[in-house]
Amino acid sequence: MIKNKKFLLEVKNLKTYFFTEDGIVKAVDGVDFEVYKGETLGIVGESACGKSVTAFSVMRLLDYPGKTVGGEVVFKGEDLLRKDETEMRKIRGKDIAMIFQEPMTALNPVLTVGFQISEALMMHFKISKKEALKKSVELLKKVGIPIPEQRVNEYPHQLSGGMRQRAMIAMAMSCDPVLLIADEPTTALDVTIQAQILDLMKSLLREFNGSLIMITHDLGVIAEIADSIAVMYAGKIAEYADKKTIFHNMLHPYTFGLLTSIPRLDVEIKRLNVIPGIVPNPLHFPTGCKFNPRCRFATDRCKKEEPPLIEIEEGHLVRCWNVERVAKEVKKGFLVGV
Amino acid sequence: MNRIIRKLFSNASSLVGIVLLFVFIIIALLAPVIAPPLSEDPYQIPRMSWDVNPQPPGFSMSDNIRDIYDYMGKDLKWDISICGTAEGGYDIFYGLIWGTRTAFRIGLITVAVASLIGVFIGSISAYFGGWIDEILMRITDIFLSFPFLVAAMVLTTILGRGLDKVMIALITFGWMGYARLIRGSILSAKEETYVMAAKALGVKDIKIIWKHLLPNTIFPVMVQGTMNIGSMVITAAALSFLGVGAPIGYADWGQMVSFARNWIIGSPGHAGQYWYTVFYPGIFIVLFVLAWNLIGDTLRDILDPRLRGEL
Repeated sequence: MIKNKKFLLEVKNLKTYFFTEDGIVKAVDGVDFEVYKGETLGIVGESACGKSVTAFSVMRLLDYPGKTVGGEVVFKGEDLLRKDETEMRKIRGKDIAMIFQEPMTALNPVLTVGFQISEALMMHFKISKKEALKKSVELLKKVGIPIPEQRVNEYPHQLSGGMRQRAMIAMAMSCDPVLLIADEPTTALDVTIQAQILDLMKSLLREFNGSLIMITHDLGVIAEIADSIAVMYAGKIAEYADKKTIFHNMLHPYTFGLLTSIPRLDVEIKRLNVIPGIVPNPLHFPTGCKFNPRCRFATDRCKKEEPPLIEIEEGHLVRCWNVERVAKEVKKGFLVGV
Repeated sequence: MNRIIRKLFSNASSLVGIVLLFVFIIIALLAPVIAPPLSEDPYQIPRMSWDVNPQPPGFSMSDNIRDIYDYMGKDLKWDISICGTAEGGYDIFYGLIWGTRTAFRIGLITVAVASLIGVFIGSISAYFGGWIDEILMRITDIFLSFPFLVAAMVLTTILGRGLDKVMIALITFGWMGYARLIRGSILSAKEETYVMAAKALGVKDIKIIWKHLLPNTIFPVMVQGTMNIGSMVITAAALSFLGVGAPIGYADWGQMVSFARNWIIGSPGHAGQYWYTVFYPGIFIVLFVLAWNLIGDTLRDILDPRLRGEL
């Protein structure tokens, strides 16, 4: 990555563990990434690989038994993990906002859309209810909700799924945050609505010059919106690079597996590639590289030693012992059009 | 909300409850018109005679009491016992009418205060969890371990006679159910994404409880509260019946049943001779409790998600 750009958020060696009765679950185990001003970072991975927990850790929204036990989350030069709850509350919503996966459940069913948007406005800007509602109407208009004057007084169940997600975005954008964390914002929506929501987010980000962390398992979404991508596996970053590198020159077998398992229109493939096996149980991770039981490049070394995250070339970090072999395979002709 | 009101009125049993309740409200409101007070304290039941024996309906005020009113220069607004008198000449009709106010006061105040305490403790406990939850719930358990009636009796005895003392006792041992109820609801509701979303917007904890969680969880408490208004009145009546409740002569249905204690079986050869002493206050208590229970029942049916849409 180009080093002279200013970063807005820097996460260093973040560790979030869940202290369950069966043992300690290392949901996020030493994750590093940076988010630059005005750019989008995509975090990709299978379910339960620690994507959402990473986001919640940044926002400090985890409750018992989850606890962030180590690392730093440097936002605007300050470590968020060292702030107290009151300071943190002032940052949440105002500087960092979040969009959730399920627009059906992320809006409170008994409160009007307008109330839920104006709540944050009233809190962070100390403005009157009337002004907040007026601003809410503007926000709803901005996110493309028709007849916002009427919608503002409606309850979530009166809105369609896409409109609810738009309302969620309006809520998150209400206080002009500089960083938006979107936790699978399009997963619960159908494809046409997904495209609309992504377009909306892109245009809003351009307007606010804000940064975005996009958490998803959908590589199509990532290809659409991200500037750089972190591929996560089992609580750790497997590969981290800019979008082009990830899609054309991926060097981690997991990234390779993910990309080859997407159906393609331009190449005829008889049978879609799959990554064998499932995500390992976080209580019983395999020794060595956590991906080794599912990896077709795995060697004896992979079973014994866990590879470190190595910077192969500038801005391209990979956690794998067999980078050369993967590179050869990739060169064999597999390319994803971006 | 409109749906709830519509259902309340379209259901036969709840309609009976509403009509009964309406009648009681009218009685309570119009008490000074229906039974004008004869003395300064309207809650003091006027005596129609000094006689220990109850007097049958239609009994006219005895002369020696008339003389007292004459002497004090007060004109009698009425002098016939429509429903007879209880032990000691206390007028039953007057007691019934003004006792309605007492019943409402006991029921509404105790339930309101007890549910407020319960909701406060339960929601704090559930929302914050951890050791706060542990401490508050153990305190709740301690209060729950006392048998309700006995505990209320002991506390009223310690505090002394009087309706306010009865209410304090009922509140002290009556809030735990609400605390448990709201705790359970909030424990499940706080896992909803909208709570996380509100937190992510920087909303304060107290505001999340008050604005986001309680509106989603308060209905079971409202149902429970409605049903409990009746049982609180019954318990207060029981305390009065046992002689630790309202002061003697206070317009209270429980006290009036207590007056009837010695006369329930009638006199030798005349079983049920004094039926009016127990019948009237008894039927008032029954109807009052029934009214609240019918409404509470329907409310529960309406709000129970399993029965939703079938009513």
